Amino acid sequence: MSQARTKYSNTAKLLTVLPTIFVLVFVIAPVANIFGKTFRDISLSLLRSGTIHEIIWFTTWQALVSTVIALALAAPVAFCVANFRFYGQRLVTSLTGIPFILPSIVVGVAFLGVLPSTLHRTAFALILAHAYFNFGFAARMIGNRWLQIHPYLDDAARTLGASPSRLFSTITLPILQRSILNTSLIVFTLCFTSYGVVRMLGGPSRSTIETEIFFRAMQLGDVSGAMLLSVVQILIIGSLFVVSTRFGSRDSRRASAPTISRQRRIDSTAKRFVVGLASLGAIGFTTAPLLAILVRSLRTSAGFTLEGWRSVATSTDLWRGLSTSFVYALGTLAIAVLLAIFASTATVFDERTAAFISVLTSLPIVVSSVSIGLGVLVTFDTPPIDWRGSQLMLPLAHAMIALPLAVRMITPVLQSIPAPLRQASSVLGANTWQTWRNIDLPIVRRSLVSAAAISAAVSLGEFGASSFLVRQNNETLPILISRLLSRPGDILQTQAFALSMILVVFSVALIFLIDTFDDFTPTNRAASDA
Amino acid sequence: MNRTKTRVGLLLTVGALIFGACNTGRSTERNDATGDSTDQDQTAGSTAPVTLKLLAYDSFTPSANIFDDFTAQTGIKVEVVLGGDAGELVTRAALTAGNPEADILWGVDNTLLSRALTARIFLPYETKNIANLDEQAQALVPNNEATPVDTGDVCINYDVNWFNQRNIAPPLTLRALTSSNYASLLVVPSPIASSPGLAFLLATIAEFGEDGWGEYWKSLKQNGALIVGDWTTAYYTEFSGSSGKGDRPIVVSYASSPPAEMIFASPRPATAPTAVAALTCFRQVEFAGILRGTKREREAQQLIDYLTDVKFQEDLPLTLFVYPANNKAKLPDDFVRYSLRPESPLQLDPDLIARNLLMWLDQFTNIVLR
Repeated sequence: MSQARTKYSNTAKLLTVLPTIFVLVFVIAPVANIFGKTFRDISLSLLRSGTIHEIIWFTTWQALVSTVIALALAAPVAFCVANFRFYGQRLVTSLTGIPFILPSIVVGVAFLGVLPSTLHRTAFALILAHAYFNFGFAARMIGNRWLQIHPYLDDAARTLGASPSRLFSTITLPILQRSILNTSLIVFTLCFTSYGVVRMLGGPSRSTIETEIFFRAMQLGDVSGAMLLSVVQILIIGSLFVVSTRFGSRDSRRASAPTISRQRRIDSTAKRFVVGLASLGAIGFTTAPLLAILVRSLRTSAGFTLEGWRSVATSTDLWRGLSTSFVYALGTLAIAVLLAIFASTATVFDERTAAFISVLTSLPIVVSSVSIGLGVLVTFDTPPIDWRGSQLMLPLAHAMIALPLAVRMITPVLQSIPAPLRQASSVLGANTWQTWRNIDLPIVRRSLVSAAAISAAVSLGEFGASSFLVRQNNETLPILISRLLSRPGDILQTQAFALSMILVVFSVALIFLIDTFDDFTPTNRAASDA
Repeated sequence: MNRTKTRVGLLLTVGALIFGACNTGRSTERNDATGDSTDQDQTAGSTAPVTLKLLAYDSFTPSANIFDDFTAQTGIKVEVVLGGDAGELVTRAALTAGNPEADILWGVDNTLLSRALTARIFLPYETKNIANLDEQAQALVPNNEATPVDTGDVCINYDVNWFNQRNIAPPLTLRALTSSNYASLLVVPSPIASSPGLAFLLATIAEFGEDGWGEYWKSLKQNGALIVGDWTTAYYTEFSGSSGKGDRPIVVSYASSPPAEMIFASPRPATAPTAVAALTCFRQVEFAGILRGTKREREAQQLIDYLTDVKFQEDLPLTLFVYPANNKAKLPDDFVRYSLRPESPLQLDPDLIARNLLMWLDQFTNIVLR
């Protein structure tokens, strides 16, 4: 037995080597370099400057307001989906899930399309786009937890004479509290570090820390200022992350789903009205910006035109952008899935390794994509390690950003495999590799597809690291879109919207793939119960 | 059994993909490190024609077939890559110094030169045309760190008809722009990414001094000046005197913009539709250079010679609307007739620019953009 354990922990250690090396080289080393350079020739004058305070303050308050609005919009949707069974429910659930998986630059572009140009460079546009980006996600998170509340609890309270509001405040809210808090933290972090949306909608006057890093490094030429901001950013997100894991780990995600669904048929006009309003509102809010992209890809101030779409098919520039993006997505997928398999498998063998992997794969979340891009650019710039022009750099950076997600899709499935299954296999004489191949792999196969799909989706839409690492000869779709939009000319604008539409279609297709193959997420479990 | 085989096969493919990719990555590294030897390989077995990449700002629009002669003479092809405004080009070039995105960069001007030289983005080269190049421009690069290719002046331009119709006198000085007569009439390309924008900022610093320009910009902003991202947007979209027919009759552009409006108008108007306020001009010198890290240094040198030679230089006035840096180049009559060469343009010491540029841009961002 003890021998077996040593064997397992050795395997675990071996498996962690590859992911560790990659994270070490492409995340930790660049960030350490940024920290090192910043603290070596420290110039805190920038930190004292009013500009920076203003940017940090703006970043914070817009994230707070965005979070509140996203949750307010999510509440009615979560309520309806968790409590009623109604016509079009699946449609509402899947549609509201779309914004969250859209590339952030596309969300920015969508709101450029849907809002009048007087609102383009305002905090309002930014906050609305952030709310759009996150409300569906928030609705799912809270709705799923809500679904897990046993309906008999409600019935019991009602029988004891509780009014609906009392039921809500004494039963529902306390149970949902943790999930609401968790969701808020995640949404806040996402809005705090949001990049694509701000680049599109904020403009130079509405800068967040993330866009200011780009602005300083790539436009002003103030790399040390950018690095200092990057340090500030990492410290803030790092502490947020610590806080959120403190809260998060205790959440009863595995709370058993009730055997009886709490979704009931709608039995009154008032309820029908509420549910109808909420779901139509949600559908309208979700689809309007996407339709705006489509419309703007077909219309200039002069009228209807197919020119934008025609040039997607004919222009070598745009065509090259498309193929570059797809090649990078494939590369990202290969690297991320391979690393994720190693990392996830390692977690199965012993707990210390599992804890290590969890920290390791959280690092790319704490380090924003912009910081990864900047770090790589200023770190791997001296021969013989000058990787700034390497075609492999972007898929690698994208894979680092996708890794946390890919690992989190595979790990729970692997961990759900009962230990006796593996023990039986090894008792019957299978070695570790055979056991993995015959037990783990068949079970985990479907989640590998999901992990691959999410990695590809991350790569297709990735904008932060790309805006540092992309070069003239390898522009990806998001970079092309931002460049087209920054130039005057109606046709260029329609091209940008057409490319955005393509990104929307592929993101939706990929998320559909994930939904079909990932049968382990609570969402799907709840859906299959219903 | 078959299924496991395919699965192992899949894994192997993925593995091969990654390792294969790593290997190509490494081999390009080796090319970089020993650039010289690969250069020789390429020229030794050179049946494939060399293509040079020339990176330039968006408004780099010489005559369509201008490089045909060069290709005919040398067998080297030229691919022009447009990469945004000049400021952005230089910043990117600084971040990619030693591992460049192209072989030659066109369009670093004297306002950005210090940034380019500090980052060592260029390989020095003394062109064979050096004896004919503008001496004042040469003086900015005493060690041939870059090669001057053209000069021009950035000035306030105004829409003549707009002011005539309303019977308002056009603004003639920088100070005048803060007067309520000209409220909400001015559009300026941002100095952060645009080189005429930066030249204009430096003009105001030259005029009002290091202590006074901040106040000046505050009043400009209060007076409704519009700051846009780049020169193309400012001139062709917002300015009323150009093809875009925007709303604003005053714009920061070049001293050579009025001749451009005349020469390309058909039918040609009796009087120039736009004019320049000569007292607001700032002298701009543009440079080209060989990007350090290129694998085609020798070919790039040939291209620098071509860019400074008479044929290419004579193409510049009517395509880029700048003055050639080569004194031997003849100016087209129309260009001479309609353009204005300010006698004493505003100037700033390049060293002063080098020391303070970042701080000024930061202050500008604070004052104007937030």
